[in-house]
Amino acid sequence: MTTGRPGLSPSLAAMLTSPGWSDVVVLGGGGDPGTRLTGSVVALEVSVHPEPLDGQVLVVLLAGDHTDWRIDALISRASAAGAGAVLLAGVEPLGRGAQLLAERLQLPVLGSPDPLAAHEHLRRVTAEPEIVRSDLVLRAVSALRRANGDLTSVLRTTSHVLERPVTLAGVDGGTLAGEPLEPAERTALVAALPRVPVGWAAPYRVDLASGAVLIAVAVLGVGPVCWLVARLPAVVPAEVAAVPEVLGVVAPAVGERLALRRLELERDARQRTSLLGELLQGEPSEATRRRAVDLGWQLDGWHTGIRIGADGHLDVAGRRTDVVEAFDAEGLQAVVVEQGDGWSAWITAVSEPTATEVQEQAATIRRVQRRLVQTVDAYVGVGRVQAGPSGIATTLAEAGDAAGLARGRAETGRFLHVDRLGLAQLLLAWTRTDTFQPAAQALLAPIRDQPGDLVTTLAVYLDTESSVAETAAVLGIHRNTAAARIQKIQHLLGVDLTNPDERLALHLASRTTPAE
Amino acid sequence: MTTVIREQDLEALVVGVTLLGSGGGGDTGAFGRMLRRRLGDGELVLRDAADMPDALVSPIGVVGATSVLMEKLPSGGEFDTAVRAVSRWAGADVTGLMPLEAGGLNGLTPLIAALDLGLPVVDADLMGRALPRLDQFSWAVAGRSLTPCALSEPSGQVIVVDNVDAAGLERAVRSFVAHTGGWAVLALAPTAVEAAAADAVKGSLTRALALGRAHAALEPWATPADIADGLGGRLLASGRVEQVARHLIADGGAAFGRGSVCVVDSTSRAVIRIETENEYLLALVDGTPAVTTPDLLCLLDRRTLQPIAVDAIRTGDKVLVLALPGPTWWRRPDRLTHVGPQAFGLACAPQLLEAS
Repeated sequence: MTTGRPGLSPSLAAMLTSPGWSDVVVLGGGGDPGTRLTGSVVALEVSVHPEPLDGQVLVVLLAGDHTDWRIDALISRASAAGAGAVLLAGVEPLGRGAQLLAERLQLPVLGSPDPLAAHEHLRRVTAEPEIVRSDLVLRAVSALRRANGDLTSVLRTTSHVLERPVTLAGVDGGTLAGEPLEPAERTALVAALPRVPVGWAAPYRVDLASGAVLIAVAVLGVGPVCWLVARLPAVVPAEVAAVPEVLGVVAPAVGERLALRRLELERDARQRTSLLGELLQGEPSEATRRRAVDLGWQLDGWHTGIRIGADGHLDVAGRRTDVVEAFDAEGLQAVVVEQGDGWSAWITAVSEPTATEVQEQAATIRRVQRRLVQTVDAYVGVGRVQAGPSGIATTLAEAGDAAGLARGRAETGRFLHVDRLGLAQLLLAWTRTDTFQPAAQALLAPIRDQPGDLVTTLAVYLDTESSVAETAAVLGIHRNTAAARIQKIQHLLGVDLTNPDERLALHLASRTTPAE
Repeated sequence: MTTVIREQDLEALVVGVTLLGSGGGGDTGAFGRMLRRRLGDGELVLRDAADMPDALVSPIGVVGATSVLMEKLPSGGEFDTAVRAVSRWAGADVTGLMPLEAGGLNGLTPLIAALDLGLPVVDADLMGRALPRLDQFSWAVAGRSLTPCALSEPSGQVIVVDNVDAAGLERAVRSFVAHTGGWAVLALAPTAVEAAAADAVKGSLTRALALGRAHAALEPWATPADIADGLGGRLLASGRVEQVARHLIADGGAAFGRGSVCVVDSTSRAVIRIETENEYLLALVDGTPAVTTPDLLCLLDRRTLQPIAVDAIRTGDKVLVLALPGPTWWRRPDRLTHVGPQAFGLACAPQLLEAS
């Protein structure tokens, strides 16, 4: 029996976490858990007189009575021969004498119902790492062939082959599938991994403070990079060498599953988006209605539109699930459709909701937003309740406007609800925003520094419904002076104050400037 | 050389035969008191075989469950009955007695019998210590027949056994005592003293007396090493009993209580394990066999220095573990196989103290 190769000797503590040793228990003689096990030697009976063992484990296949004095004698001889540990058949506790002796001699005494398997496993791990590796890879390949479609099943199969937890993690270490990582592991992993992997499936090894090891292999494909991560609770060198190979085999399979899922997502998203587009066109056709029914959309009833926007580049189709889950979590049955750089959603009620219900619903939507903020930097607008198929378009349009306003309003938590008070109030509120202020300043700049307080004149003129006489009265100037100023304002600004659009813009602008 | 035993020697003799018992041999205390009563202020001479030519001696002692002896006390007539029975069968009168076994209470019973029957005692026995089985009599080991012999039990029943080997006798005795009072007096056939002593361990009772006197001379505050020296033995450990395990194993029809005692030396922390049956059989020091039968293993109470028997040892006792040299008669390879550890089912070569 040859001693294992240098560098392959696992510590006893690591071996005890090893899958092949799952049924091995420590019977006595804690000793140093860092003891290196250099190999395994098998003996038939407790009466064996071992050769020098040099850190190898002495495995005894027949050890009927663990309280027998021959166990004590064996422990003594094994210790003298320099054994790394003694492994006995059976897991019955040792006698007190044997326990005390094992502690005194610092010799770990282990037990296993299947000592031969434990011996074989240790021998492979210490002497034949390539067999461990090829065995795992072959098992992974054949198990994957049998695994059915989805990603979870692929991860579960891999985890089963390795007998270790396997996780699919995003670049931020967040769990996409499989068993979630501990926060500390997540931090260590993210610190070790590059944002953009340099080579195809280059395995990364992250040694954690706890002694555990994370092995990460990049999954490249459509969509963002993610990492296939296996967690090994301790370092068994042969296993640490084998796991990256297995993950390397599994990674393309995971990539393929991800691509397929992506394809489905995109297809569904396209369907929804185009259907919504048709709905927004006006009264839906019969075909449109049928497709809506297929997708489970209820066109009749009372709809509340919600627009969710997000800053920055966003995988709208990929993250839709997050949005749907956020609504589900708050108990809202919302239809969510990818649209542009965000999502349009609406909630349908059979009867018209009361004012209180609307308020409660708005509060719930707000909670949905708070959930989303954890992963998406979302701003949300909510429209008024509208009836019927065409109501969807109306309420979504309102929601869209509200969302546009909400985007710049950090003070309301980037959330706006167009309630029964109407949009005007909202717009007025908007004039106080940082977005509008510069625009207003720029609009009124030409008349700012002119004699005759043209800004105030303009504001009063518009407030008094374009009445020159009223303006003169308010400002305490002559009617002709007022008329002349109005003329001058029109001239300087190059606007026609009879045009309602321009008049509205100036009216709003004049609302902001007096604040200065 | 003859040894004379008087009342003042009895205490030492009792301790001595107890030490030769190696943890077994039964409770000597009651027979010590019985002997003291019988002896009074008289004296008992332990004779050398050469001093009494032409005598026909019968080895005598108690067999069976010695623990029952304390519950079912001797009537006093058993010795006489057994000796008469074997004399009648053999057709020759017994003119002297010798112990079957020097260790434990059987080191004392022949002396009581000798006083009762008015016969002289030869200081030679068939074991030189305590041993559990009849095939371990030196006569049986030397090829001498143990039969004819007679057994008498306290209610008066007597049987004579003849024409059977040691194993057969063992079976006969065990079934007899099991179905009667649990114990019986065994008297072997009257044998010419020269032949009887030739295949026996000589001087065991003298040795017991010497051991007992050495024991009495010990100071309770003496160091463990000094105590071992004083008794002429080797100290294996001085410490606390950490565990006493006992279990029954079936051994050819007779169930012996197999067990083990674990002692941790208070200074070196060495782990001493002593395998037991009726006696202490094998001592392992840190897992290595150190001393085995037929050498004597004795556990003494650390405070009183009294020997503790196998069935009295308890977890938590503070003890001295001593090894004393066993009878030299057994120190021959062909004899060792009958009383060495293998004879007790312990797969271990005999480990004996250096011959002193």
